[in-house]
Amino acid sequence: MAMIAPTSPESLSPVPGLWWSPFTTRAGVQVMHVALSPDPAREAEAYGWLDETEREAWRKYLPQPRRQFTLCRAALRAILCEQFGCRNDHLSFGAARHGKPFAMAGRARLPLNFNVSHSGGHGLIALSAGGRLGVDVEERIPRRYLNELIEAVMGPEEQTELAALREPAKLHLFYRLWTLKEALIKALGTGFSTDPSGFQAPPAMRRGGMDGVFSFPHLPSVAWRLADIGDERFAAALGYELESP
Amino acid sequence: MATTEERIRKLVDENLEIEGRPLGRELDLNSSLRDAGVPSADFVAFTKVVAEEFNLTFSPEDCVKFQSLGDLVAHLDSRG
Repeated sequence: MAMIAPTSPESLSPVPGLWWSPFTTRAGVQVMHVALSPDPAREAEAYGWLDETEREAWRKYLPQPRRQFTLCRAALRAILCEQFGCRNDHLSFGAARHGKPFAMAGRARLPLNFNVSHSGGHGLIALSAGGRLGVDVEERIPRRYLNELIEAVMGPEEQTELAALREPAKLHLFYRLWTLKEALIKALGTGFSTDPSGFQAPPAMRRGGMDGVFSFPHLPSVAWRLADIGDERFAAALGYELESP
Repeated sequence: MATTEERIRKLVDENLEIEGRPLGRELDLNSSLRDAGVPSADFVAFTKVVAEEFNLTFSPEDCVKFQSLGDLVAHLDSRG
């Protein structure tokens, strides 16, 4: 398969008028922020960058996820075109077995891993020429069924730690733990065939640590670096595969 | 006795929200939960609620395979 050499991720820089900008970098993984607030002119421009397959998907979405999908996918297209020096109409996307997307330029698969997440008015796109990675972002919206969600998606120790908290600390920790777990599931690339209640975030990170190393119980030979990259606007986490020694 | 569709709609009404608002009647049977913007944690939780309601083993990945809630209803009805 033909390979295309990427330019440096550091070549990315914020451009006035665009809706995406650099957010953070961790060990060669570049994370871009995508602004997703309603903006009809911006959404129309972004829609114009999509191919027919993406427009078919666009028609299925309700208004909010449609906006999130359109602005994130157009931003991803622009970033990939800049990094690889390719034309937008040569870019296309495929999906692996569990739905994780990959990018193609013509018939060549781009030598880059990426992952996209969005919530409310914020999107994140993580990109790396290295191993597998996953990113998740969640706005900390109050939940009617928080206890039921905790019971469904958290492991036993995580449930105990959350039960000891009251609002708003409980909601804050829920989103923190959930983004860590979903970033790991997305990095692994198996979708929800991996039950999120079947593994737990590293203990040090559950107590407030910003970085950690993790291995899935069913896959102990593969190590993942996990980082809390949230800020005052949203909870967010990045997981990426560590090179084998 | 409630139909499968009525039971699924009740579970949607009682368990799902988008951006803090109940999903309610915004979702029709031709929509998938993911296309409607249901957050992933809620999606996992909803799958477990459906499994409990219909007394079956049902993973979130199984639910992703159904293109719409209508497909899910048809699958549940096909079990007899």
